[in-house]
Amino acid sequence: MAIAGGRDGWTRALLAAVAMGIGVAALLIATAVPGALDSRQDRIDARRPASSGDIRAPGDAPAAANTLLMTELFDAAFRDQAVYAALVRAVGPDAPLPPGVTRLPQPGEVIVSPALRDLLASKDGDLFAPRLEGARIAGTIGPAGLAGPGELAYYLGTDKLTLDNDQAVTAFGDTNTAEFSPILALLIVVISVVLLLPIAVLIGTAVRFGGERRDRRLAALRLVGADERMTRRVAAGEALATALLSLAAGAVFFLLGRQVVPLFTLWDVSLNAGDLSPSPLLALAVALAVPALAVAVTMVAMRGVVVEPLGVTRRAGTTRRRLWWRLILPLAGLAALYPLFGDIRSSTVDNRYQIAAGAILLLFGAVALLPWVIDLVVRRIRGGAVPWQLAVRRLQQDSATSARMVNGVAVAVAGTIGLQMLFAGVEGDFRTDTGADTSRADIIAQSTNGDGRELPRRLRAVPGVTSVASILQTTAIKADKPELFTLVFVADCAGLAEALVLERCADGDVFVAKPSGNVLGPYYAAAPGDQILLGADKQLAWTVPAHLREVPGRSDPGGFNRGTGLFITPGAVDTSRFGPLEGWVSLRTDPADPDAIERVRNAAAAVDQRTFVYRLSRVDEANRFVNVRRGLYIGALVTLLLVGASLLVGLLEHLRERRRLLAILVAMGTRRGTLLWSVVWQTVVPVVLGLALAVGFGLTLGAVLLRLVTVPIAVNWAVVGLSVALAAAVMTVVTLLSLPPLWRLTRPDGLRAE
Amino acid sequence: MAKLLVADGLRKAFGQTPALDGASISVGAGEIVAVMGPSGSGKSTLLHCLAGITQPDAGKVRYEGRKLTEMTDRERSALRRGKFGFVFQFGQLVPELTCLENVALPLRMDRVRRREAERRATEWLERLEVTDVAGKRPGEVSGGQGQRVAVARALVANPRVIFADEPTGALDSLNGERVMRLLTQSARESHAAVVLVTHEARVASYSDREVVVRDGRVRDLTGASRG
Repeated sequence: MAIAGGRDGWTRALLAAVAMGIGVAALLIATAVPGALDSRQDRIDARRPASSGDIRAPGDAPAAANTLLMTELFDAAFRDQAVYAALVRAVGPDAPLPPGVTRLPQPGEVIVSPALRDLLASKDGDLFAPRLEGARIAGTIGPAGLAGPGELAYYLGTDKLTLDNDQAVTAFGDTNTAEFSPILALLIVVISVVLLLPIAVLIGTAVRFGGERRDRRLAALRLVGADERMTRRVAAGEALATALLSLAAGAVFFLLGRQVVPLFTLWDVSLNAGDLSPSPLLALAVALAVPALAVAVTMVAMRGVVVEPLGVTRRAGTTRRRLWWRLILPLAGLAALYPLFGDIRSSTVDNRYQIAAGAILLLFGAVALLPWVIDLVVRRIRGGAVPWQLAVRRLQQDSATSARMVNGVAVAVAGTIGLQMLFAGVEGDFRTDTGADTSRADIIAQSTNGDGRELPRRLRAVPGVTSVASILQTTAIKADKPELFTLVFVADCAGLAEALVLERCADGDVFVAKPSGNVLGPYYAAAPGDQILLGADKQLAWTVPAHLREVPGRSDPGGFNRGTGLFITPGAVDTSRFGPLEGWVSLRTDPADPDAIERVRNAAAAVDQRTFVYRLSRVDEANRFVNVRRGLYIGALVTLLLVGASLLVGLLEHLRERRRLLAILVAMGTRRGTLLWSVVWQTVVPVVLGLALAVGFGLTLGAVLLRLVTVPIAVNWAVVGLSVALAAAVMTVVTLLSLPPLWRLTRPDGLRAE
Repeated sequence: MAKLLVADGLRKAFGQTPALDGASISVGAGEIVAVMGPSGSGKSTLLHCLAGITQPDAGKVRYEGRKLTEMTDRERSALRRGKFGFVFQFGQLVPELTCLENVALPLRMDRVRRREAERRATEWLERLEVTDVAGKRPGEVSGGQGQRVAVARALVANPRVIFADEPTGALDSLNGERVMRLLTQSARESHAAVVLVTHEARVASYSDREVVVRDGRVRDLTGASRG
């Protein structure tokens, strides 16, 4: 019966199966994502040097013959994408191989990821290539050694690494992974609810596709002797068949989607097709839950109609929707969450299920209330132009169908608003103020190896760099008390002004900065006449001049206060005999030249590969929090797209059911614009009401979640507006996409029945 | 009698299946013409071509001398809205509008104000003897009442031609008779021509002239079928 009726029957069944299949695919993806992210994290952990026992600190006893010297370059990046970069040097023939690498690169060789190889071959390759020092590409990193297929990564062979200075690695695989905090666990639970609930709602909606036609079929069965129970069984059988078809469609969509996933990199996250493997138990749960849901929804829908042998009458049209049971759901949700108020941070009990149940019930409240709200509002609307009248009358007669179309969007928006409020409330737990002053500089380059004197000279010559301030750093000990040492900074007045409050400064001046309060540790503040010993072997004596001035220190643009130390201008000391000096350079670049930082990275790498180059930002966020939020963004985007796609299918099915009426109206000479606008209004009214309800429920959910973590309730209206605008944009696109089919369906020759 | 609507040599095929094969017909002003024929003979296709709903593959249709077949879709829509009225067998009333609003719909589409449109619609509901269903929705009225509402809607904008496709096909004989009596009587009072597609001789007997469609061609039965 589900597919009977020739082409029309097939089309109807196919539409329902496609819409539900989208939902099934989304559920399968949802069951696969945790595993996929775990696989990704496992690969990241697997390429980190093994536990600290295998990492030798500088100065330790010589490493075993078969070790690998390795330095991972933190903060390596190309444009907005993180780059995994490591310098390696094999010591002995059996040095361990990082995962995904079949042989170690020799000096002058580099092993690159496929994405980096593609980048190097592209027109942007010239912007990256200099930091590889012209090394020959000697191989490709396999999938096992990459976080994802889109990751930019390389292992550069070099002979500059030394046993004294660099990590000696004997094995790979970091097992030291942190647990999720209760707050992160809460976030993940709520995110799962918020992302999956719209999908469940969509499946429930898609089950009802073709309901009117099914009711007519059932009436025909009643005519030939089927009793009510038999018609219910037939309806259940039809729903089951469609659900099975949708499982097959969902599996196909999932497999197709899985092949497409490696092509995309979102917020530094890319996944291999094989990463997306649903857990068998969860996949089984989906395979059982979808048919069960389909049958349950059909049975509930059947309660609203009386199938008689001569046709179908609807009970819902004459009865007013009741409010009381619709309020039970959100109230039950609040009741489930209330006992947890203020308890989450300190809780040691696993209350994930209680939170999930509470959030689900609360959000389902929006689904239950929406038809009632639409009824309440449209019942009072009178008059208006023909398109408006057609739309309003349609909504007055059957608000449930329209409400079902909007339910998914409403739940998604309500959930997103609630989650965003929670995110804003707890982000303080995961964000730290770096103290950086981005008005003074936007990039910092720090060289701890190589010659720091060379760094500012090279960076000044980089196109796009507009100003450079630099400070060289070394240490000195007090000649008569070698256990006391002080930091020594050498810079011109402009450089010193970044770290000191200077009222006047001339070349030859020497300053001392003292921190406020007690001095910690062995640092000491030099005084005039003190003799200090400088240089790599601390043999170079220098007397602190009498004109030493004490000045207050201040934070440099990176937010770092150097504290106690001697600050010397080049005219006061000859640095040429100091040996290697660490270099610190702050840079300002042309905002209109976003690639300036790439050229800075290249120039810094030319001085020394291990030079840190990073863009300043005012806040620093914990990686896990950032990852969870990225997950939310990706999920919200996918959910919204799925909701949109399913909505489109629903709208098309709705239009198909009214095909004959539309054709008759056009035959009567009705302007197509009139019909188009009636469809638009018919979508816009429930969407506006649905979004208004969603905002209300979203704010409630957000307030409740914030109470769980004892954070004052605050609403970011910009985020609320953005969520609503995004949903409205999806609805607009869906409506626009439905117009061409509507145009075709309103051809008057649609009247032809034969 | 001046010819209001003339079709000449109409051909129309759906895929490999020919529906009309050189059909010609003319309808005079105020004339009621019954188009008869067996199922699948092309009666409805002929009506759709005459009303400008379907474009024929070949042949011409003229209304008051203007070629429908050369008009744009917009022009034909305007013609159907202003000059033609339609009654179909089923599914023609907008289910969510009340019967009064359904009848007023053609006037509203012609930008007549709602109050005026509903006043004129009420007059037609009275003439078609269905004022008691004015506030009801189509799903709440009987088949006969629904068809009379549809006839009222077809006539409310004072059309020159009414196209009725099996208007009594879903009704019992008593209701069918009543609908036909009111349809033809109202059409005559309004001087509207009627193109009536039916396969029932009893329904065709309300017409001034009968034609039969067979194998896609039209044969005039006037004189032959009436003694």
